[in-house]
Parts: sequence; structure tokens; C-alpha cells
Amino acid sequence: MLDGSPHNHAPRSIRVPRRRFLATAGTAVGVVVLGFPLRLRAQAPTFKIGVIHPVTGPLAEPGQACRLGAQMAAEAINAAGGIKAMGGAKLELILGDTQTKPDVGRTEAERVINQGAQMLMGSFDSGSTAAMVPVAQQRRVPFIVDIAAADPITANVAKAVKDGQQKVQYVYRNFPTGSTFGRKAVQYFGEIFKEANVAPKRVVLMYCNDLFGQNSAKGFQAAHAAAKPGWEIVEVIPWPEPPQDLSTEVSRAKAAKPDIIAPIPRPASAQLLLPEIRKQRIEMMGVVSPGGPGLYESGQLAVLKQDLEYVMASVPWANFKNPRTVKVGEEFQKRSGGKTFDTNSGYSYDGMTLIGDVLERAKSADPDAIVAAIKATNWNGGLMQYAGPVVFNEIGDNGNAIPTMIQVLGQKPVAVWPKDAALQKLVFPRPKV
Amino acid sequence: MPDATLVAQGLLNGVLFGGVYSLMAVGLTLIFGVMRVVNFAHGDMMVWGMYLAWLGATRLGVDPYASFLGCAALLFALGLVTQRALVGQILDAPHEMQILLMLGVALILENAALLAFGPDPVRVRSPWSAATLWLGPVFVDVARLVTFAVALALTLLLYLFLKRTDLGRSMRAAADNRYGALVIGTDVRRVYAVAFGIGAACVGAAGALVSPIVPFSPSGGLSASVASFNIVIIGGMGNLPGAFVGGLLVSLAESLGAVFLAPSLKELVSFSLLVVILLFRPAGLFGKSPS
Repeated sequence: MLDGSPHNHAPRSIRVPRRRFLATAGTAVGVVVLGFPLRLRAQAPTFKIGVIHPVTGPLAEPGQACRLGAQMAAEAINAAGGIKAMGGAKLELILGDTQTKPDVGRTEAERVINQGAQMLMGSFDSGSTAAMVPVAQQRRVPFIVDIAAADPITANVAKAVKDGQQKVQYVYRNFPTGSTFGRKAVQYFGEIFKEANVAPKRVVLMYCNDLFGQNSAKGFQAAHAAAKPGWEIVEVIPWPEPPQDLSTEVSRAKAAKPDIIAPIPRPASAQLLLPEIRKQRIEMMGVVSPGGPGLYESGQLAVLKQDLEYVMASVPWANFKNPRTVKVGEEFQKRSGGKTFDTNSGYSYDGMTLIGDVLERAKSADPDAIVAAIKATNWNGGLMQYAGPVVFNEIGDNGNAIPTMIQVLGQKPVAVWPKDAALQKLVFPRPKV
Repeated sequence: MPDATLVAQGLLNGVLFGGVYSLMAVGLTLIFGVMRVVNFAHGDMMVWGMYLAWLGATRLGVDPYASFLGCAALLFALGLVTQRALVGQILDAPHEMQILLMLGVALILENAALLAFGPDPVRVRSPWSAATLWLGPVFVDVARLVTFAVALALTLLLYLFLKRTDLGRSMRAAADNRYGALVIGTDVRRVYAVAFGIGAACVGAAGALVSPIVPFSPSGGLSASVASFNIVIIGGMGNLPGAFVGGLLVSLAESLGAVFLAPSLKELVSFSLLVVILLFRPAGLFGKSPS
């Protein structure tokens, strides 16, 4: 196991024919079967996947949604007969928790691999995902990044492989990158302004100063510089995450006389930011986020209520025009105690279903066979809003993973842009109170 | 150069939020001052104060500005029990044992909150928390104004309690010299338990009072502890007025840092303040140097 050789990754019960297995181990197994017949049956061929998310700590809300999404997808695959190309192997999830700390992300990756994980999936937070990457590369464990936006996560590995420092890339991402977020947000901003027939000039960018926030803000600014739209980013205000207080930051945004405040928050900071914007009575067209959690989750809506009304965010979103999405969404809502099937649960669900597709084509637990199958992916089975099939580019990212502009209308987040994804018409500028 | 309105707003925000910081720090400094125990569970006790206020608001419909006394009473009981059952047993043990014990208590409190309330950040809605006053272009957050006033009043009350009452004098006696206090017949065990209880009650009240201002989740204890330590060290460990002034200073430094520098540097500003003060006044602003 420690050398990470393919043989050790292969589940024994797949490789050894059933008859020979019974002949050699028959007596011993027979005794056990008498005692634990059900348990033995449950231990039929399995494929172990380490699923790591921030289940405790500041990002616990989205992290728990991710975990449940992944579990539901694995259960669906298992209920449909497991991985057929691998003898009906069932997916067994080894769950990990980053505690929202990058260093823990790394040790959790080590732990699940030591417990037999043959693939990794995770981990929502860019910081901990970046910390898991070297482990996946060193231990030769294919790693599907279900959520994490910072560009370097895959780009650094792709560069190392290109420069010949590493042989194989084991890390692939099915999620928009920070630069995709930026590019799409700038594009959507322009389209929405045009659709609403308004011409805002002054945008204030506010962001949480962690790896995700910095990367997304940089992506947004770079895309703005490249597109040269008719509006300016007049002030950039980062805050330390998690903040105790954002009143002065919002005063500063107000002093910049914004037409639009474009925040890249986290759940806790969104809870400070939006009431503060209301209290300080900033006259503007609206809050439009280039992307970030905290602006649409049911927990956030319960706390922020009207402060979230009309807030728009360019975020990866589930395609509710797909009846399967609606069905899974309803089940998710039931099992999560009323939460919406959204960015987090949705991309983790898709990540796990994608792993199922990869394994069907890899037909083997060998890491390099899995990587070959990942590279050859052309998959249409996702529940999220994509621009096309899941296909991995030379960096290991899926360029068709794109955000959708959503808006909270009637206390519910709905897709409003692009037009073909929209379920409701956008309301912009927001009505005056 | 930022405009005058923004600077004025920054100053005001800083002073008002300073009330929150002060209240957090007062309880910590009291416990340290009396029994030389650093309460690493301080922030987690504050989180429990917040959740108790949240329970009061969501289950019983009581506004946090009314329920903070109840929260303080419950935290007083928690502090009393913690002191009697745990801290009192290791007062003579080396410092690292105390640190481990209090970290353990912090872990238990944090995870108990996680089990009881789940991981999502929440915030208490009070009619006050939406209210604002306007002084020309500068606005005053009413919730913070109230918190500031209560923090000031509590610190004053506590100060008077320590100076004027018998129990307060016993506490100061036990703080000055534990064995001396024992010799003259002070019930040091009782004094310690009450002091820990009052310290916990302060932070419980602080938690309840800030629950409409700051969103919170079970994991917020550590950062609250660290912020409190910073303030207490700046003010002088064990010094009550020091904790109050320290809270104001740290909050002002952060707020003005956010006005004049990048807001993401504001914590750098407050910790730089700590370094500067330790360089020139190693015992803190109000602390007496050991010599």
C-alpha cells in the first residue's frame, strides 16, 4: 500500500475468481458465514473512495451538504448495481473532515489513503484542496476535485507534468476555476445591464481575503481589464475571513459611491455584510456577486431574510430544467432537513456520479487506467448547469463547468441568466425600499 | 486620503464595537487577575452565551437585550461548576496543565454546541439590530450603542464590586496573596469559584449582547479567545480598566486600519499595536511591571 503500486489498489475480490477464493478459504469463511452471513454479502467487491469536506469549522454548512450529495450519488450508483465493468463493485466512501483547515485536509487525505481509498474526492475549500494535491500525486491516487475554484490547484500539477518534474497528473477538477468565475461574471454583468437597459458605472469589489477570495477577485479584475466594459471597478475592499465586524468596510464602500457592490463572501461574512449594507442605506442598483457561498443557502436565507432579496450571484447552479435534478433535489431536501440542492451538494453529487462513469470506462482499479479514463471523459450525466459535456482540458479542468446568475426572488434562489437557463425573469435594478 | 465622513464613521464604528471587545476581555482579565488561570475556553463560553440568547429569542421570544442577564446567570453557574470540578483541582499544577485542561474544556464546549445547534452560522434578530440613528452623514448603529453602554455599565459595576464589597475585597486579597488570604481566614475556594463564575457571566453577557450584531457558529470560540487575549495583554493582564481601554484601543485600531489601509490588514494593525505596547510597556498599558 505504501508504495502505492497498482496491485495494492486492486480490490482482491475482483481479481481472484470466486471459485478459487472459495476453494482456498472455504472452511474458514464457512465458519464466519454462519455467524455473519449478511455482513459477508455486504463485503462483496468494493471500490473505496476518500471523500473529504469541511464538515466542521466555519465552512461546515456547505461541507456537510457536499458530503450528503456525495453519499446520495454513491448510494444511487450502488442501488443500480454498482460499477458493472468491475463485477458490480460497490462504492464504499471513506469520509474525511478538513475542519476547514488546510493542514487537516492534507492529513485526512493521508489517512483515507492509508485506510485503502483508491480515489479521492473533495474538498470544497481551495486551501485544503491545494494541500491534498501533493498527497494524491505522491501516493498516485486519482483525485477528482468536486469543488474548489483556485486556479493553481490543477495548473501547478499540469505545469509540473509538462516540465517533466512529475510523470502523471492525478488531479482533475469538475468545477469552474477562479478565472472562469471572473470571465463569466464580467460577461453576465454586461448582459444583465443590457437586458435591464441600465448603464451602471461604479462597481465596488469586496472580498474575503483567503485563497478562494483572492483568486476569485483576481480573476474578476483580470477579466474586467481584458473585457474593458463600460463600468469601472472604483474600489477594492478585502476583509480578513472570518471577520468580527464589517461596518467600516461598508462605510468605505459607501464612500466610493457605488452603483453596484460586488461581494465575494463566505457564509459568516455575508451575514455581516448584507445587514450592514442595509443599515448604512447605500443608494445603488443592487448587490451582484461574481461568485461565492453565503448568498443563497437556506440557512443563510433563514438568517438574512429580506437582506438577501434581489441579491444576485454568479454561482455554479443545478439545472432544474432536468427532471432528474428535480427528483434528486427533492430527496436531498428531505434528507438534509429542508436544504436546497445547490452549488455544493450538486457539484459533489456530480463529482461522485462522474467517478462512477470513469470507473465504468477504466474497468480496473489501476490508478493509471483511471487517469486514462478521466482524460477520455465526455460525460453528459450531470445535474448541474454546464456549457457542454464534462471534458477535461490539458490543465485538468472542465472548461464546460460554468456559473449561472441566480437571484433571490421571493426568498428563493432561482436561475435568472443566461436566458436559456433562466427559470424566472431577473429584477434589476432592485426596487427602491 | 479618505474623506472626513469616512474617517468620522470609522472612529465611531471603532468606539462602538470597542464596547463588544471590552466586555469580552473584562471576564478573561478578572479570572486571570484573581487566580492566575488563563481561560482558554473563554471564547467558547462566549459562543454559549450567544446560543443561549439565540434560544431565548427563537424559543421564548425574548429579546437578547433583555435575556442577557439570564444568559449571564447560566454562564455564572457553568463557570462556578467548571472552577469547582476542574480548575480548582489543578491550581498548584504547572501552567501547561492548566492550559491543557482549559483547551479540553474549550473542545468540549465547542463540540457540544456543534451537536446541539449544528454548524450553520446564525444571528439573532432583534428589532434593535436594524435600528440606526443618523448624525448628518454619519450613522450610529443602535444595537452597538446599547452594547457599548451596557459594557461600560458592567465594567463600572464590576469595578465597584471589587473595590467596595467584602467579597470583592476578598477577591483582591486572594489575588494579591493566596496564602496570606488563607491565613487571615478568607474562604479562598469560594472566592475563586465566584470569581470564575463572574468571569464566565461577563463573557456570557457579552455573547448575548453581541448576538444581534455578529453572526456566530460553534467554531467561533477560538477567534474570540484570541481577540480577548490580545486585548487583555494590551490592557495589562488582570487589570479591569485595562481590559476596557484595551478593547476600545484594539477596535479603534482595526477600524481606522480599515479606513486608511486595506481592510484585510486590520488584524495586522491590532496585533502590531500589541507588539508595540509590549515593547514599551511589557506589562501592558495598565499593568504593574513585576519589578
